[in-house]
Amino acid sequence: MHPSKSIIFFTVMSGTGYGIIICLSFLALIAEINFSYGLKLSLILISFLFITLGLLSSTLHLGHPERAWRSFSQWRSSWLSREGLAAVLTYIPLMLFYLLWFLEMDIFKYFLYSASILSVITIYCTGQMYASLKTVPAWNNVYVTPIYLINGLSIGSLSIYCLTRFYEYEIQHLYQFTLLSLALCLMLKIIYWFHIRTKSTSSINTAIGLGKDNKVSFFEGPHTGKNFLTTEMINKIKKEKANFLRLCFIILSCVLPIYMIVQEATLIIDAFILKLSFFITLVFALIGMLIERYLFFIQAKHVVSLYYGENKV
Amino acid sequence: MTSLPEKQNKKLGLVIDLDICVGCHACAVNCKEWNTSGHSSPLHDIDPYGDDPTGVWFNRIHTFEVESEINGSKTVHFPKSCLHCSDAPCVTVCPTGASYKREEDGIVLVNPETCIGCKLCSWSCPYGAREYDEEAGIMKKCTLCVDKIYNENIPESDRVPACVSTCPAGARSFGDLGDENSDIFKLVEERNGYDLMPEQDCLPTNKYLPPREKNNQFKNDALNSITNDNDFSFDTWKEIVEDASK
Repeated sequence: MHPSKSIIFFTVMSGTGYGIIICLSFLALIAEINFSYGLKLSLILISFLFITLGLLSSTLHLGHPERAWRSFSQWRSSWLSREGLAAVLTYIPLMLFYLLWFLEMDIFKYFLYSASILSVITIYCTGQMYASLKTVPAWNNVYVTPIYLINGLSIGSLSIYCLTRFYEYEIQHLYQFTLLSLALCLMLKIIYWFHIRTKSTSSINTAIGLGKDNKVSFFEGPHTGKNFLTTEMINKIKKEKANFLRLCFIILSCVLPIYMIVQEATLIIDAFILKLSFFITLVFALIGMLIERYLFFIQAKHVVSLYYGENKV
Repeated sequence: MTSLPEKQNKKLGLVIDLDICVGCHACAVNCKEWNTSGHSSPLHDIDPYGDDPTGVWFNRIHTFEVESEINGSKTVHFPKSCLHCSDAPCVTVCPTGASYKREEDGIVLVNPETCIGCKLCSWSCPYGAREYDEEAGIMKKCTLCVDKIYNENIPESDRVPACVSTCPAGARSFGDLGDENSDIFKLVEERNGYDLMPEQDCLPTNKYLPPREKNNQFKNDALNSITNDNDFSFDTWKEIVEDASK
């Protein structure tokens, strides 16, 4: 599938923003989250900017962005419509949470919880939109939606962790929570990669329909040039390059953050460098996530490629 | 609106005979010709006279090689356009309701006024029937020539899709595939018409008819009678040829 820049940016950024909110609600469940103003303000700004910039970017790939409001109407059947609706609804409790949290009014928790539930629903809808596409076997499985959720959660909690190091603030249980979600994120992705290696549903035989007693092979396409289908649905990446990018994701988004969190105490560097390195860790982790999302698209084969020379999808 | 109709009064669709199609691409050309000035007009081309031309086409002809022990090797030309599925995923994924299936005849259409151009319908279609118009910023597709088949301004015999009326070999038939008494339904029954990618569960309306088995019996018998006849050897041939040259 075509790795559209605006969709990759949208899913990673919004996912991170929602992940921050979900992680905060977990922390609020088990402990007090009355941080310093600086930390609060940073968390509010970062989560708001990530969510909003992501959503705005998602409209960039539309042919008619000015008609985007129409997409709220078909929530009965369309996961994309549900996603849009959930994303907009999230803003209501989210803005109230920001305000009440900043004003230190205790009822902020209820708005945080509702914003968190709606965030989960939004990411769930995004995942389901891909997972429900039978035409792309690499997406049509039980791993895709959990991956979207855990990726958002892991990078969201990592964002909070890096910010707390920046403000030299300790939050109870955040250490374990971040490590656990990062490890889960890595584990799930590796299981997914093994899964898509073997998964296949359609073949040139069923696509042409003559494969029962015959050997069917591709002879020539409808024309010598490219067309909408080949540019949108048929994209290839060399195996070596894909493996290299997978390794980049593992190191940037999982191994490096885990190393930084676990080995922080043993790093003999001055406070400023330490803060800077946590900032860099977060940036690298985000780049790793962008790489992961790029691979999610470029490595997914669409069954229409069976009409353009592929034998099995 | 995005939900599929609960019942279909008619199932208008095409039947494509792979035994007859010669791969001349006339159906694709006439499809473009009719539709670029009809319901979905214009069908934009990008860089049409340049090095890398692309454009909107609703119908394309692919070619495959089909080999079997009985029939040997055969070139199969394979025209493909929208199959107007009964369980069309392109309709249900649409977030705006722009993509819809008509209850009266089962034709799947896109409303150009409300399509936001998100392309999700094209992802959900296993057959590659959807065409995004880059210039217009909306999705377009085969309309089964909805502006031709009901057009009272043209002679009744012309009220079939452009691809059907133009096919010089008669490889394409059009009709109501939901009506068990229709000629087209009987044709599908008789020739074992089949669905493309049934595992995708789209229940396509359009059917394909497989190439007929080759009848090699007569040819084989004639060849065998010559080669098995020991008297009729190479020398006999030589004599005949030499006699003739004298």
